[in-house]
Amino acid sequence: MEKKFFQTSIKDSLFTGLIALALFGPIVGLRTVAKNEVLEVHPKWFIVLIIVIVCAVGRFLTNLYVYNRDQKTGIQSSIGKSISNFLDTKGYQIALTAIIFSVIFPFLPFTDRYLMDIAIMMLTYIMLGWGLNIVIGLAGLLDLGYVAFYAVGAYSYALFAIHFGWSFWICLPIAGIFAAMFGVLLGFPVLRLRGDYLAIVTLAFGEMIRILLLNWYQLTKGPDGLTGIPRPSFFGLPFKSFPDEGEQTFHTFFGVEYDPMQRIIFLYYLILVLALITNLFTIKIRRLPIGRAWEALREDEIACKSLGVNPRNTKLTAFAIGAMFGGFAGSFFATRQAFISPESFTFIESAIIVAIVVLGGMGSQTGVVLATVFLIGLIEVFRDFESYRMIAFGGAMVLIMIFRPRGILATRKPTITLEKSSSK
Amino acid sequence: MSQKLLDVENLTMKFGGLVAIDNLSFSADKDKITSIIGPNGAGKTTVFNCLTGFYKATAGSMFLNKENERLNLRKFSDFKVAQKAGVARTFQNIRLFPQMSVLENLMVAQHNKLMDASGFTILGLFNSPSFVKKEKEAVEISKYWLDIIGLTHRADDDAGDLPYGDQRKLEIVRAMCINPHLLCLDEPAAGLNAKESAELNKLLLFIKNEKKTGILLIEHDMSVVMEISDHVVVLNYGKKIFQGSAKETKNSPEVIEAYLGTEE
Amino acid sequence: MDTAYFLQQLINGVTLGSVYGLIAIGYTMVYGIIGMINFAHGDIFMVGAFIALISFILFALTSIALPIVLLLTLLIAMVFTACYGWTVEKLAYKPLRKSFRLAPLISALGMSIVLQNYVQAAQGARIKTLQPVIQGGFTFMEDTGFTVSLSYLQIFIVLVTIVLMAIFTLLITKTALGRAQRACEQDRTMTALMGINVDRTISITFIIGSSLASVAGMMFVMYYGVIDFYIGFLAGIKAFTAAVLGGIGSVPGAMLGGLLIGLIEVFWSGYISIEYKDIAAFTVLVVVLIFFPTGFLGKPDIEKV
Repeated sequence: MEKKFFQTSIKDSLFTGLIALALFGPIVGLRTVAKNEVLEVHPKWFIVLIIVIVCAVGRFLTNLYVYNRDQKTGIQSSIGKSISNFLDTKGYQIALTAIIFSVIFPFLPFTDRYLMDIAIMMLTYIMLGWGLNIVIGLAGLLDLGYVAFYAVGAYSYALFAIHFGWSFWICLPIAGIFAAMFGVLLGFPVLRLRGDYLAIVTLAFGEMIRILLLNWYQLTKGPDGLTGIPRPSFFGLPFKSFPDEGEQTFHTFFGVEYDPMQRIIFLYYLILVLALITNLFTIKIRRLPIGRAWEALREDEIACKSLGVNPRNTKLTAFAIGAMFGGFAGSFFATRQAFISPESFTFIESAIIVAIVVLGGMGSQTGVVLATVFLIGLIEVFRDFESYRMIAFGGAMVLIMIFRPRGILATRKPTITLEKSSSK
Repeated sequence: MSQKLLDVENLTMKFGGLVAIDNLSFSADKDKITSIIGPNGAGKTTVFNCLTGFYKATAGSMFLNKENERLNLRKFSDFKVAQKAGVARTFQNIRLFPQMSVLENLMVAQHNKLMDASGFTILGLFNSPSFVKKEKEAVEISKYWLDIIGLTHRADDDAGDLPYGDQRKLEIVRAMCINPHLLCLDEPAAGLNAKESAELNKLLLFIKNEKKTGILLIEHDMSVVMEISDHVVVLNYGKKIFQGSAKETKNSPEVIEAYLGTEE
Repeated sequence: MDTAYFLQQLINGVTLGSVYGLIAIGYTMVYGIIGMINFAHGDIFMVGAFIALISFILFALTSIALPIVLLLTLLIAMVFTACYGWTVEKLAYKPLRKSFRLAPLISALGMSIVLQNYVQAAQGARIKTLQPVIQGGFTFMEDTGFTVSLSYLQIFIVLVTIVLMAIFTLLITKTALGRAQRACEQDRTMTALMGINVDRTISITFIIGSSLASVAGMMFVMYYGVIDFYIGFLAGIKAFTAAVLGGIGSVPGAMLGGLLIGLIEVFWSGYISIEYKDIAAFTVLVVVLIFFPTGFLGKPDIEKV
């Protein structure tokens, strides 16, 4: 018995090695390199050999230690569960600590410009993740073109700010409304499609918007992008080192030394506030009839119809609200960068945001934060290994689906409980 | 003669060449239980799907008579039948929202009312007192129904975690939460044991007598049908072959023939 | 001049359509059998193109005759790419058969990202150019001022497509394998109860789909002479559009859809606007899915209550 099992394991791992050779032999082993305009093949057999051995031995070991112990998924889910439990019981304290930490973060001794930039980027993704969580996590609509709304927000902010000179606080809501309108416009025809078709159509819309931005030169300056987008001011007080004649700036008004970090810190708090608003809004709306209807639609659309819930309008609100937050995040992006081009709004951005929501646990607000810190952290740490980090990133999506399809944090709390409402 | 709650006349439903319902006419009374029975594939569920707007009937008319208006059900599509006409239904294979709590399931059923109260979400966002009051009322209604089916202690558990028999009952009271005039039940006793189906009978009689809601019932379990139906309509191959009281039905030769076949 | 121009577009459209059609078959077969959109299929096509490219470069160093080079490259691309299709299914989709309905799609999205970046890491991000493998062709209507050309390459592409189509259609309609596939489409549990190895049938479906995509990849690299790791994304979406247009689940439909998408794209760029040529495909996709979801040869999908 033992021996036979051993034999099959050996056979199996040899087969795995063979497959690995077929997979990696040509693509990794025969690298094509252009020399004088002509491609040459540079063999790299050593790497292939290593990969093949790793695959075969790895397969052998997993055969021996994992598959025959009947606990393949046990470990992963128990980790996830204990995290969920921990967050459930201590959820309030953790959220509070996280918020306090993010509030004092800019003034911590180790915080420098680089960390601030990463923090701002993470918060932007957290906000986008929270926005998309309404669409994917609550309403169950897989939207692969979310970046389109981000783009609409950024471009409408930039165009209004450049051409009309309106301030950030006027342009922000306009950009949000624009994005929401786009959401309704796109959502109206497509929302009756089944899940996977909807995903492809939203992806197509996302790409269409990008192609439009690339080619509508008069409006968007195409691939050159829009430059000179006004920076946000502190309620009318600009951040400038050399104010014009008679102009009040942030540092003259408060009588402090000019420091370029002031603007960065302001931007940081701006996105923190915007993200927290998104979060509070989502937490609140989940407990309202509309939020419950979203989740009900995710669970069973036919049952919803039999109860008189209008599926199209309900989905449309989710789509529009998600789009609105995408638009807000887009305007923030535009004002922070002061330059936007279609390159910032490619499909991979949508994929990253979807991955954040999926990885975190669909519908889980805390999950989004954890997933963002993890994924964006991963991307930052492996900054110099562009394609390797994306391989890890895509691989993580596959693994999460296999081992924890509901995401790391998968517990769901009821939006209303009998005990609470009757003791009120 | 009192007015009928539901009038179905010459209803016909065709799928391509297949005639699923053939020129069917029947009616259902307020505060009465009308059963539709027939062998498998007789077109019973199709009748429900036409009534509740999931299918568009090929021909015929369906009218629902409320106190002072006569509604043409054919004018409403799926969700509007429940929303505007007050026709609720359950499904052969239970369709709860399994990952939502029992209470939430009942709250979703009161969606339209609460949606109006929340001022299309805007008032709700700011916890307006009128909305809070309405929501409390909705919770009370849910609690009322949970008390009736004895599931109050499980109100905050996921609906999918309930035992099968409780899921059936929950689906029925969820349909009652939209405050319907007509309740269409598609094989509510399927898969229930004797004790559970007795409880089901009690629940249905309660709905009929206390809530004055008309019930349209598709059922294979003859003990349920015979015990509680006031009126029975028998279908076979999409055609009505008999109608009458439960007792008449039991003794009708046509019905026996449809179920057991003829002796040659 | 106008007729000549039109004719030229027609020839180009049919050629491009053959490529899309071959990819679309993979989408349609996988959708038919396990009901998922194999989002990574476009990237399998890209891998196939790379394998064909490498094979061509290696054969260029030898003095083997062209027809044999073509045949060998075709076989090499099919075999190696099929390994990719098989592995992707085993790793990323098979464990998800019983998961919730969007799980395979998300997993496929992850797989697509993996494949793209893997090829980028292994082969570099720069575009790869291939010297023309088949040169020459016919020209006609020279007197009208606009020369219509029909290259040998185009004839080769269309011919190979037709032959492969014929072989695989026979395979699906006439053999036990095809029967097993169609049975799996109807009811997987029941098919398994009848003693058919469902896992193997699904694997074979992926193998067939991937090898056809690799042929498309080989033709793409020969036709355009330029590829990079990103070609799978757009080609994948267009081929998916083709599959939907033809009626998803139907193999002849995929071919027909591919042909139509190829023609639409070529005529759009020829007569309307070349910058927005990708928008044409996306518009068709959106319009078809919304108004015409069963496509030309698909079966209607009745929602069961």
